[in-house]
Amino acid sequence: MAALRSSAARLLGAASRPALRAATAPTSAPAAVRGMAQVADAQQHSQTASGDQANLKTFQIYRWNPDTPTEKPKMQSYTLDLNKTGPMVLDALIRIKNELDPTLTFRRSCREGICGSCAMNINGTNTLACLCRIPAEDSAEMKIYPLPHTYVVKDLVPDLTQFYKQYKSIKPYLQRDTPAEDGKEYRQSKADRKKLDGLYECILCACCSTSCPSYWWNSEEYLGPAILLQSYRWLVDSRDEKTAQRKDALNNSMSLYRCHTILNCTRTCPKGLNPGLAIAQIKKEMAF
Amino acid sequence: MASIARSSLLRQVASARPAFQQSVIANGARATAFHTTAKRDLLPPLPQRVEGTVNDAAPVPETSPSHGSYHWTFDRLVAGSLIPLTVAPFAAGSLNPTLDALLCATILIHSHTGFQNVIIDYIPQYRTPRARKIFMWGLNAATAVVGLALYEFETTDVGITETIKRIWTA
Repeated sequence: MAALRSSAARLLGAASRPALRAATAPTSAPAAVRGMAQVADAQQHSQTASGDQANLKTFQIYRWNPDTPTEKPKMQSYTLDLNKTGPMVLDALIRIKNELDPTLTFRRSCREGICGSCAMNINGTNTLACLCRIPAEDSAEMKIYPLPHTYVVKDLVPDLTQFYKQYKSIKPYLQRDTPAEDGKEYRQSKADRKKLDGLYECILCACCSTSCPSYWWNSEEYLGPAILLQSYRWLVDSRDEKTAQRKDALNNSMSLYRCHTILNCTRTCPKGLNPGLAIAQIKKEMAF
Repeated sequence: MASIARSSLLRQVASARPAFQQSVIANGARATAFHTTAKRDLLPPLPQRVEGTVNDAAPVPETSPSHGSYHWTFDRLVAGSLIPLTVAPFAAGSLNPTLDALLCATILIHSHTGFQNVIIDYIPQYRTPRARKIFMWGLNAATAVVGLALYEFETTDVGITETIKRIWTA
C-alpha cells in the first residue's frame, strides 16, 4: 500500500514540483522517501495547475530549546498552504507540528477559547491562537512569539508559575462564616448576580497581564490585570464576607496601585472582558 | 501516524532559510552599527526565582493605606484640583497672589508624587534597595529646592501666572 502511494506521489509530484519550489524557499535535494501527506500535497498541486491557486502563508515562530540553553532563541519559518489548513492560527500550529516539525512545542487544549492554554503573542498582540484567524487576504508573514516578558519553558510555552502563585494569594474562593439561611445554599439577588457578569468569564490565559508594561517591570509584586479582575470578582460577590480583608490585602503601594491605566489589558483580552474597568472599580471602592 | 504523514520535502523547505531573511539580518547589523549610543543593559532580567514551592501563594504585603488608598486618593485630588487652579486666573482676568501660591504648591506636590511613582515603578525595592533610597532622597531634595525657588519667585518676583502671561505670545 505504501509503495503504491509513493509511486503515485512520484508520478503526480513530477508535474507540480517546479511550482512548489518557486513558491517556497529553494530546496537542495529532492525528497527520497515520501509519506502519505506527500500524496495529498502532490494532488493539491496538480489541482493548482488546473486553476485553483495554492494560498501559501509563512509563519515565523519563536524557537528556543532548553536542552541547548546556550543557543540563542531564533525565529523559524514554516510555509503552509492555507487551502489545506483550518482558519485559525492554532490549526496552522497543529499542522506544522504534525507535518513539518514535531519538535515545535506549544500548549493547546480546547481549541475553542475556553481553556486559555494557547495564549501567545501573534503579530504583536497577545491572544489565544484558537480564536485568532489567519488573515487570508494578505500574504504577509505571521510572527508568533510566546507571551511577552515571561520566562520561556520551551518554544511557545511560557512559565506562569508566578501568575498562578499570585492568583492563589488573592484567595479566589468564597469566604463566609455565617451559614446559609435555609441551610442549603447562599442565595443572591438577580442584581447581585449581574455584577459578576464580565468577571467570571475570565479564563486566566494571562494575555492581559503579560501585555501590561507595569506587570513587565514589577511582576514580583504587582498583581497584574488578570489577578486584579479576579480579585474584583470576589470583592463584588454579595455572598462573600471577607471583603474588608480582601481590600486590606490590596492596600499597599505595589499590589494594586502599580496600575497606571495603560489599558493594554482591555485591548488585548481575547474574551472581550475589561480588566481595566475592574481595576478602576477596585480603586474607586478603596478610595478614602 | 504523525511520522508517516509528515512530509520530508516540506520539512526541508521549512528548515531552509530564505535569502531575503539573511539580507534583513545584514541590514539589521548595519542599523546597529549606525547607532552611536551603546546598548546598555539596565537591570537585565534575573534568572527565574520561585519563592517557596510552586504551590505556595505569593506573599501578601502588609496593609499600608498611606502608601495605598490614601496616597492614590490624594494623588487624584491634587491632579483634579490643578484644572480649576490653572483656569481660574485666566477666567477671572485678575491675579490673586494667594491663588498663585496655591497653584505653585499644587504643581509641586503633583510632580513630586508623579516622580515618586516613576521611581517606585522603575527602581524596584527588592532588587535595588540602595538606589531606591538614593533616588527617593534625591527627589525629596529636588522638591525642597524647587519649593524654595518657587517661594522666592512668588514673594520677590511677579509670580508664575504673570510670567506665563508675559512669555505666552501666541
